[in-house]
Amino acid sequence: MDKRTQRQVPKPPGDSGLLAGYRLLPGIPDEMIDPAGTVRPGWTELLAGFDELGPDGLNARFERADQYLRDAGVFYRKYDGAAGKERAWPLAHVPLIIGEADWQHITAGLVQRAELLERVVADIYGGNQLVARGMLPPELIAQNPEFLRPLVGLAPASGHYLHFCAFELGRGPDGGWWVLGDRTQAPSGAGFALENRVATTRALSDIYARLNVHRLAGFFRDFRDSLNAAARHADGRVGILTPGQHNETYFEHAYIARYLGFMLLEGEDLVVEDGQMMVRTVAGLQPVSVLWRRMDSSFTDPLELRVDSRIGTPGMVEAIRQGSLSMVNAIGSGILETRALAAFLPRLSQALLGTPLHLPGIATWWCGQDAERRHVLDNFERMMVGPAFSTTLAIEDREHTMLGAALEPAARDALRQRLLDDGGRFTGQEPVTLSTAPVYVEGRLQPRPITLRVYAARTARGWTIMPGGFARVGSSLDTTAITMQRGGQAADVWVVSSTPVERVSLLPQAGEKLRRQSVGNLPSRAADNLIWLGRYAERCEATVRILRAYNARLAEVSNPDLPLLADTRLYLDGIDIDATEPLPQGLLGALDSAVHSAGQIRDRFSPDGWLALADLRKTARNFASRVQPGDDATRAMTVLLRKLAGFSGLVHENMYRFAGWRFLETGRRLERGIQMAGITRWLTREDAPDGALDMLLEIGDSVMTHRRRYNVAAGANSYIDLLVLDPLNPRSVLFQIAELREQIEKLPGGIADGQLSPAARAVLELHTELLVAEPDDMSSDRLAALGSGIARLAGLLADAYFV
Amino acid sequence: MLYDVRLELHYDYEGFVHGDRHLVRVAPASIPGVQRVIASSIAFDPEPDIQTNFTDFFGNLVTTIAYAGYHDRLDVRLSARVGVDDSAPPADLSPDLAALQRELGALWSLDGNSPHHFLAASPRVPLSRAITDYARQSLGRTTSVRAAAMDLCLAIHRDFAYDRKSTNVDTTPLEAFQLRRGVCQDFVHVMIAGLRGVGIPAAYVSGFLRTIPPRGKPRLEGADAMHAWVRAWCGQHAGWVEFDPTNAMLAGSDHITIGHGRDYSDISPIVGVLRTSGRHETKQSVDVVRVE
Repeated sequence: MDKRTQRQVPKPPGDSGLLAGYRLLPGIPDEMIDPAGTVRPGWTELLAGFDELGPDGLNARFERADQYLRDAGVFYRKYDGAAGKERAWPLAHVPLIIGEADWQHITAGLVQRAELLERVVADIYGGNQLVARGMLPPELIAQNPEFLRPLVGLAPASGHYLHFCAFELGRGPDGGWWVLGDRTQAPSGAGFALENRVATTRALSDIYARLNVHRLAGFFRDFRDSLNAAARHADGRVGILTPGQHNETYFEHAYIARYLGFMLLEGEDLVVEDGQMMVRTVAGLQPVSVLWRRMDSSFTDPLELRVDSRIGTPGMVEAIRQGSLSMVNAIGSGILETRALAAFLPRLSQALLGTPLHLPGIATWWCGQDAERRHVLDNFERMMVGPAFSTTLAIEDREHTMLGAALEPAARDALRQRLLDDGGRFTGQEPVTLSTAPVYVEGRLQPRPITLRVYAARTARGWTIMPGGFARVGSSLDTTAITMQRGGQAADVWVVSSTPVERVSLLPQAGEKLRRQSVGNLPSRAADNLIWLGRYAERCEATVRILRAYNARLAEVSNPDLPLLADTRLYLDGIDIDATEPLPQGLLGALDSAVHSAGQIRDRFSPDGWLALADLRKTARNFASRVQPGDDATRAMTVLLRKLAGFSGLVHENMYRFAGWRFLETGRRLERGIQMAGITRWLTREDAPDGALDMLLEIGDSVMTHRRRYNVAAGANSYIDLLVLDPLNPRSVLFQIAELREQIEKLPGGIADGQLSPAARAVLELHTELLVAEPDDMSSDRLAALGSGIARLAGLLADAYFV
Repeated sequence: MLYDVRLELHYDYEGFVHGDRHLVRVAPASIPGVQRVIASSIAFDPEPDIQTNFTDFFGNLVTTIAYAGYHDRLDVRLSARVGVDDSAPPADLSPDLAALQRELGALWSLDGNSPHHFLAASPRVPLSRAITDYARQSLGRTTSVRAAAMDLCLAIHRDFAYDRKSTNVDTTPLEAFQLRRGVCQDFVHVMIAGLRGVGIPAAYVSGFLRTIPPRGKPRLEGADAMHAWVRAWCGQHAGWVEFDPTNAMLAGSDHITIGHGRDYSDISPIVGVLRTSGRHETKQSVDVVRVE
């Protein structure tokens, strides 16, 4: 493309130099500039707005969008090696503007296409007439890894296989839109489209307001309502089934769950009982009747599908067989993504719908047929040849799909021979050319190839198309560099009307009945993670407090052999902390564990809390590489303590006081009780070194209170009184137990019909015991028993809620 | 030929398990022209909390069982009376390999019996160049597909040693092929890979062998346990023909079929998901008695 002659845009609108150097490529349509060199409608307003802002204004605006995405914690996971890293969402700041007329054409084409795909998949898993009538070759289905035999003959409970699809579109040289691929397995990106919209409108609110841009919320509202209606009809709830936090688009799963108010579920949250899908919640098993599947089909059931799946639910297919569960989309729908199937869709459209495809697909030939194979071999140079059963879009598949002309002679001969030997495994496709649209690079707009991802959802009124979506923008003029994994960016898509558009939101509309979601549906796994998040955060705090006291003393005396210091090291060693490291690995490990627990429940607390935690870990890691023992470490611990308090504050002040919060709070109190009982026992023992009691006060943040309350030195008793038995000291063990009692009694089943749960009974005993205890009673053994009594509570809670 | 079949599977878990769910495929199905099931019953101990039956894609009978509570063992007992067709194998009506491909191309069907399901690699049988080459060599100059399949069946019997210690249930066809050893499951997987490699649809058959040989005949290998053999599609007229590479013979009236699939994974006697990290021990016993 770059070798051809390029043409200067004849008349750059505006005079800011924004368009200087913006060139149309011969034979390639541009979204902003029409072939005559005129700026298209909608774009004129955008460019005028950009001109008004000027380069500095524009940069500031774009920074505002990026800031929003950072604050909201929008990320995707980039696969580079084993684990994959979280990457900031690569927003291309210039939206793609598409006129309403153009969009209506897309909409009509995609509604037709969704309907066609539904009929095809219903036939593949149902009557199989398409094969019997010779319209689909049997080997295309039988040899297809996405053809999941256990699902054959199981009619979907909802009556439909497809409910939510995405389509990848590109604009061809003739200016018309082409379908580059159908996404029916578990289409991703709808949530990112929403975040793109929020970020872009933050930056360009005034321009956005001037144009009549179609809103996205109505599309989501309609889909949410139709899923909820289906679930209510079946007496169950809606869940989003996610592979978990290591998935590429987990952020989006959590985001959509929060946005639409659905439960975010992993395979292990679910269990099939009497043919009904149930979610394990802290209030017992509760029915789920609709699952929006974001997990590939074959992983959903290790019993009947992939036996090596560790993320599925045994019995998932049984629930489908019993007709008690609707899948969005049906398990097995991924077969529609098969590249070779595209070769048959034009004929299938004629046969099943009686009409040609409104939007053409890329011309595709399946080499399992003699005539088609001959055509591909005859036109080998200008064919993209690739695997027939691939579900990757040809433009994204640089590894396995290549242009005949681009191959070395030896490789060309080898591939031609494979086509002759085993044609059924290959397709030939016409190479794709894409239109260009502007991106903003260093003060100027430059053309880049784009594709468009558009979403279709089934509602009570049939298929609806999201008026927008997101555009992927290449990092260079090379069309294969369009995926984000290869440096591409995502842009918001503005469908612009010439008349004012309806404003919608997800909030209940006037006249709509306010519906409060029923309570008690906290999945057990989420509750487990909340407890552990609370515990790890508190464990970090307790450790940081001890380390700060230790390093402060080390700074004073510069003698690590001082008995108190050696003694403290010994204690820390018992909780896996090596105090000779200025920032011990054990502390970093506890922080990692907190982040890991939090990562699994991102739908349950605010982005602010998540960012505070991520920031805390970053700071700690940073300290670990440079902090020196003593004074330096003391200061570092103070910083960490402040950040920990920041995290706790954000979470505790902003979290709705419901079951989720109770578990988090329970975790925090359990850990603080255990830690305080432990360190108190250690530092008040008879042979504790000099200075131990002062250090205990400092660790327990109770120096001033002690001074005020006990004016005579009263030996260890006053310390035990304040740090163990004082009901008003928020750091005392008694205080933790009282809080625990309050929370545990209010958990589901805590007190039912006057009966105490085992955990409620145990905490009541502990509480009573401490209320009547005197400092003298609290021997070292009693303190040890107190610690293990609290630990036992954790076990009882786990038995009751997480098994 | 009428048989009474008894099968006992016994699983001992290391520690208690709970919330487990299993698919059990041990009950013989009636197959027109092959066998007729007169009576069949399956029992589990401990009693499952949930027990349902369905017929899978390939026509196999499947029992789903699930336990909510704790248990540390599982016994499966099957007893069935099955009448096996004992007519002599028909004459070889199969075409040559090239004609077989044409017949396949003209077969527009995807039902569970369609040979199209049994040509590609499957979960437990990847296609392997080494095995395909071996199959090609063993075919020699035979012209009919059935004779070709029998050649491969005999070659495996000749070249492979029956050895219970050399492989286990997870051994891949290529490993067994390189060892040239194994048990019925290994021989079957190797033969399937070879047949598919040369373009002959091939399936895995699970079942039983009569345990007491007819007077004057040697006891067959594998008779004291569940057995497996191969089913190859030999064209429109010959249809599916069954080969037993462990015993170098066509499957006949000594063979009682449970069912078939693309490979072991489709018809393994029990698939279970246990929430435990412990190991378990398995015992099985098979008793096949001729009734008349």
